[in-house]
Amino acid sequence: QLVSALHNLTRHVVYRGLTRAEDILSLFPENFHQNLKNLLTKIILENISAWRNEAQASQISLPRLVDMDWRVDIKTSSDSISRMAVPTCLLQLKIQEDVALCGNSPVVSALTMELSKETLDTMLEGLGRIRDQLSAVANK
Amino acid sequence: VSSQQFSALTEVLFRFLTEPKEVERFLTQLSDFATMNKISLGPLKNIVKSILLVPNGALKRNLSSEQVRADFIALGLSDEKASYFAEQWKVNSPTLTRLAVGQTLMINQLIDMEWKFGVTAGSSELEKVGSIFLQLKLVIKKGSQMENVYIELTLPQFYSFLHEMERVKTSLESFS
Repeated sequence: QLVSALHNLTRHVVYRGLTRAEDILSLFPENFHQNLKNLLTKIILENISAWRNEAQASQISLPRLVDMDWRVDIKTSSDSISRMAVPTCLLQLKIQEDVALCGNSPVVSALTMELSKETLDTMLEGLGRIRDQLSAVANK
Repeated sequence: VSSQQFSALTEVLFRFLTEPKEVERFLTQLSDFATMNKISLGPLKNIVKSILLVPNGALKRNLSSEQVRADFIALGLSDEKASYFAEQWKVNSPTLTRLAVGQTLMINQLIDMEWKFGVTAGSSELEKVGSIFLQLKLVIKKGSQMENVYIELTLPQFYSFLHEMERVKTSLESFS
């Protein structure tokens, strides 16, 4: 019962985003033991940003990108042409499924794809537009 | 086969080679040619088949138009017709080469990318969040099927992704 109460208290503090000692102190009932109240508040304040970050990290979300890797190959021949020099890019994305669903054993899958130069140019164009929009939003 | 008929036939052939998906149109044009010139379709098809072998082999071995002309003469074609064919070959070979390169094996080709970004307003854990996320949808061709992949990136991840992709572009450009 004690643990559950403590748990509720900390969840409430994290949910509301309370950062000031007074706010947390005001949560305790009137006749609560003074020193215990201060001690608990102090501990909660110390941990609050770590708890907030963890809560954010374990939110439900679409699968998340965890890592990416690339390499550039040059295709020199194939069964339709015996001599050519076409550069191509191989991109590998490591994707982690929804953290909330996986619990303690997150599933990470690797997705490898091939991009031609044109595809890469188009992609960079799109990414550039995203960057411009982001800076427009940030500057508002 | 008169030289006029030959040039008409060559035209039909090259149009097919540059647009290999237009099989029906090619066959219709062939049978039109046959009826116009009073040649029966069967032997015409055989001749066309053997003629088609030459450009395909030439493409594989990157032959110049001179070599194509020599090949045709070796096969017994008249000088004039061989030169005409070689000319057509020179004109069409960039397109044909590009087509052949396009047909080269590509593993899990990226076809399309869509994106949106927004702000996470709240969640069951945190009442007010206000963090920006970016969602990407990538369409990948796996074998003959399309697969949609959805991923989410944080802002710092997006910036390093952009940075890496720019590095790839520089690398690709230095090789072409």
